[in-house]
Amino acid sequence: MSYKHFRIVDKGDFALIEFDVQGENANVFSTPVMTEFKQVIESFNSGKFKAAAIVSKKKNIFIAGADINEIKDLKTKEEILTATQAGQDIFNLIEDSKVPFVAAIHGACVGGGCEMAIACDWRIASDAKATKIGLPEIQLGIIPGFGGCVRLPRLIGLIQSLQIILPGASVPALKAYKIGLIDELIPEALFFDRLESFMANLVKMGAKKRRKVFSPGFGGKLMESPILKWKIFSESTKTVMAQSKGHYPAPLKALTVVKNTYGMANRAKALKMEREGFCEVAVTSVSKNLIQLYFWMENIKKRTGISSKDVKAKPIKTMAVLGAGTMGGGIAQLAADKGVRVRMKDINNASLMRGFEAAADIWNKAVKRKKLSPQDFQKKMGLLTGTLDFSGFKNLDLVVEAIVEDMNIKKKVIAETVKVTGDNTIIATNTSSLSVAQMSESHPKPENFVGLHYFNPVHKMPLIEVIRGPKTSDETVTTVFEFAKKMGKTPVVVKDGPGFLVNRLLLPLLSEALFILQDGYDIEAVDKKYTHVFGNPMGPFRLMDEVGIDVCIKVLKIFKASFGDRMEVSPLTEKFIELKDRLGRKTKKGFYLYDDSGQSRGVDQEVYKALGLSSPSKVIDTQEVIDRGILAMVNEAALALFEDQIVQSAEELDLAMIFGTGFPPFRGGLLKYADSQGLKSIVERLESFEIKFGKRFKPTKPLVDLVNKGKSFYN
Amino acid sequence: MNPRDVVIVAGLRTPFVKAGGELAQVHPVDLGVAALKELLQSTGVPLDQIDEVIIGNTGSPSDAVNISRVVAFNAGIPQKTSAYTVHRNCASALESITSGYEKIKSGTMDIVVAGGTESMSQMPIMWNKEHMLRFNKLASARSTGAKLSALSSLLVANFKQVKEIATTSPMKTTKFKPRISLIEGLTDPMSNINMGETAEILAKEFGISREVQDKFVLRSHQRAAQSQENGVFKQEITPIYLAPKFNKVVEQDVGPRKSQSLEALGKLKPIFDRKYGSITAGNACPITDGAAMVLLMSAEKAKELGYTPLAKIRGYAFAGLEPERMGLGPVYASPIALKRAGLTLKDMGRIELNEAFAAQVIACQKASASKEFCTTRLGMSDAFGEIPDDILNINGGAIALGHPVGATGTRLVITLMNELRRSQKQFGLATLCIGGGQGGAIVLENIN
Repeated sequence: MSYKHFRIVDKGDFALIEFDVQGENANVFSTPVMTEFKQVIESFNSGKFKAAAIVSKKKNIFIAGADINEIKDLKTKEEILTATQAGQDIFNLIEDSKVPFVAAIHGACVGGGCEMAIACDWRIASDAKATKIGLPEIQLGIIPGFGGCVRLPRLIGLIQSLQIILPGASVPALKAYKIGLIDELIPEALFFDRLESFMANLVKMGAKKRRKVFSPGFGGKLMESPILKWKIFSESTKTVMAQSKGHYPAPLKALTVVKNTYGMANRAKALKMEREGFCEVAVTSVSKNLIQLYFWMENIKKRTGISSKDVKAKPIKTMAVLGAGTMGGGIAQLAADKGVRVRMKDINNASLMRGFEAAADIWNKAVKRKKLSPQDFQKKMGLLTGTLDFSGFKNLDLVVEAIVEDMNIKKKVIAETVKVTGDNTIIATNTSSLSVAQMSESHPKPENFVGLHYFNPVHKMPLIEVIRGPKTSDETVTTVFEFAKKMGKTPVVVKDGPGFLVNRLLLPLLSEALFILQDGYDIEAVDKKYTHVFGNPMGPFRLMDEVGIDVCIKVLKIFKASFGDRMEVSPLTEKFIELKDRLGRKTKKGFYLYDDSGQSRGVDQEVYKALGLSSPSKVIDTQEVIDRGILAMVNEAALALFEDQIVQSAEELDLAMIFGTGFPPFRGGLLKYADSQGLKSIVERLESFEIKFGKRFKPTKPLVDLVNKGKSFYN
Repeated sequence: MNPRDVVIVAGLRTPFVKAGGELAQVHPVDLGVAALKELLQSTGVPLDQIDEVIIGNTGSPSDAVNISRVVAFNAGIPQKTSAYTVHRNCASALESITSGYEKIKSGTMDIVVAGGTESMSQMPIMWNKEHMLRFNKLASARSTGAKLSALSSLLVANFKQVKEIATTSPMKTTKFKPRISLIEGLTDPMSNINMGETAEILAKEFGISREVQDKFVLRSHQRAAQSQENGVFKQEITPIYLAPKFNKVVEQDVGPRKSQSLEALGKLKPIFDRKYGSITAGNACPITDGAAMVLLMSAEKAKELGYTPLAKIRGYAFAGLEPERMGLGPVYASPIALKRAGLTLKDMGRIELNEAFAAQVIACQKASASKEFCTTRLGMSDAFGEIPDDILNINGGAIALGHPVGATGTRLVITLMNELRRSQKQFGLATLCIGGGQGGAIVLENIN
């Protein structure tokens, strides 16, 4: 019999099942593939073969798991239960088959791939770098549902399996071997040779079925004793709660399923509990949003930043960064980390050395965590040079300026840079608040000028805003877009305008926080509402401390100048300007106090007095405090998206908010959240705020238009 | 210019710092990388077109035995580019340049990075042979008895070692003490005399008094300090930012002493011959850490890539003599180099003659001007010629700047090249004496 996605290779006593999904780069378990796979497995119950090995024909991918597109489309509880059971049943067939199955793993073996592998009798793997085995389901807001929660703990014990399941982790081949997840580790070059001799030997030994069960040594046995087992579960729950703040149900659900099924003799019952658990989390909006986010990210990988297909990005091999401060140093470190030669220019050696130190510090930490070898560290440092003049600028592909936020100084420096660089060098500004269009006037070839807005800290923040000036060429945009991807970041192309996209939408929240403070609320309590209830990584006051209160006020003023009365600014800003030394973490006090090492020491109780406020007394109305900030953002977002067309789509806006500000991913983004609340009720809420707090809350025209047309941001 | 002429497109070096000083913690690989990465980045040379990297080094650090390859790799030169290390003692970093010269001249290659790196601070102290054998015995012992016996002999030796270290001069070799590779490296193995002692021989044979030597030293310091003040070295030095904390930068050579006085020099005691000798720590060059790199190209390649060459290599020579008188090496090598360059000593506008010892440089001047010496020793028909003080080591020399053995050759070439351009002289000679009894010389032409 012949199949579409599989090929049975006759090797005498045993067979190789070559897995090669047609029309895809990766092997995924979609429904048609699963249907066929079932037939393949069943065919081994009769016939001549005494054993079977499953191998992949894809390069560096064994099996990438279930088809996420299908998971996304599953709506009702019944649909989900049926789909999961179908998968579980097929993997049960492997376990119950008359012949032993061997998963021969080379490349990524994740999700459903891993669940299939652990249903096999044996697992052997290549030691290739690409070989990784794991269960990333949690990252999509779901739990392993094809037997992963049940089989993995049985195979490798509680501790190791929870370390894979709960964070949605994958382990490299060597680690997988050490924890007993695979039975044999084979050098990549010998993989298929050894596979055949392994199979031949299996047949020779009688081709027996085998069910490997975790058999710990003395220490392991101790850990799995009832009292310590209880401790493991309670500690894991604590960790999960601390990390998810209760916003993500999947890890807790996985933990419950593992707890309830571990050691259970009745497989059918255990698997039923697993699929019910899966069902409970798969129907949540959290899971839908996380899956949506996954697809958005996949989309970004395919995009080029421009609509034209004829224009190609140029490679960036050497670049310079003007200014080795926090941003410049960070940009340089990241580029060198990705193999680009970087020249840092600053005005004195002390500043340059801060850049070197910051870079070395990040890499040193990686070396300590064994994520980077000392040799690679030296190699990366070798890509970084410093200069006080413009020497070595002639052959650069890209120059990113990260100097002081002053239009005149920037213009002057850009004009100087143009003179010393080549004709095709792209010059990018990392400004966060100044006009890219205005700045580009200092460049004789503005088509080679673009905004490249990194976020702080550069090595951690996943977003880069690519700001397309009025004259920026397609080639320049796509070149820096691809460069941003090479930096491991998610780029979003935005139009020039005050605060571009992310800061423009963030500022209304920060600005509103000052009004909230003025109204007599407690700083820490407000921040906590935003973090613990809404799910932001930081509350607005903490965020202002991090960014620098002076920076926030400066940008607010720019907004006021651009947007006029619409932009109401709290009088507290003037107070901060008078105070001078209360600028946030960098001056060791802002809303919070910081010690010498930069650690927060709680709210500075003096701040209320310093700002001329009485001690906070008001009882917080949680929903109101959150809505004031978040709806202010939604209101502004409608303007940015529809009127000023700062960004092309709601999808990109949401992606930018999640990656640029840490907007809670489980909410799917700012506009997804707004849609989920109903735009009509949002407009009503804004209107009531307008009456209560002032006209800054007046619903913006595009938002009202949407409601009038009965539309939402996504529909 | 002939398309196959060999030109220097750029040259850079680290600051030179007395061993044990601010660069003591910097591995010789990292010294080399510091100079090389800046050379590459400041010139913007297309890396994939570099044909080879040749780096001189004498200490051969055991964790980077082909140090050239490691320096090239860490500085970001592509893996495909070959790299090897050369060793010709004090002239290792001249050998790297002349090797590159030959490969380019012949048409085999177009772009070669040449240079040298040396950390004399980090030259290892080694177990002596007996101690090593004791260790080997322990490593290969199988039975418990054999292991214990080997271990105890190792322990006993260690005690004796500590006792000897505590009770004898560091310079003195004894039965159990470790061997100091720095001292052994500066000792000629054929005649078994130290470099300082070779200078003593020259001082005595050429009748060079302590005062004459010290005056020479004073001038070297004054010239170096003055040039440093005038920013002469700035164009050839790239600063070193000290890892891991990056709170300190070394921007210039630490050796030159503006306030050096004859009195202070006069107070120093002779080291190698306490009774009749004249060589002191003051009139010898200091043990030093540093690295230097140049970018060599064929004239046609430089033109193609749009570089303005700084100098053209006209010719070079190495020559041998008695190891005991190695300091006269320049007098042996220079006439041959000049002959190959088609020039004479009189054509030279500037001369860099490495200052291993003041006595040795003065001896070279005397020998060079002596008809008797040149006819009997060199087989010339007349004296080689005068080496006038006013064109010799015009910016000071190794006595003030330092002599990181494996890097000096390149440093001399860079300094000479820049000095020719500054003084607008057409030709220059860089030459040095080489431990083990050799001399090396190279002739440059300023082509602007």
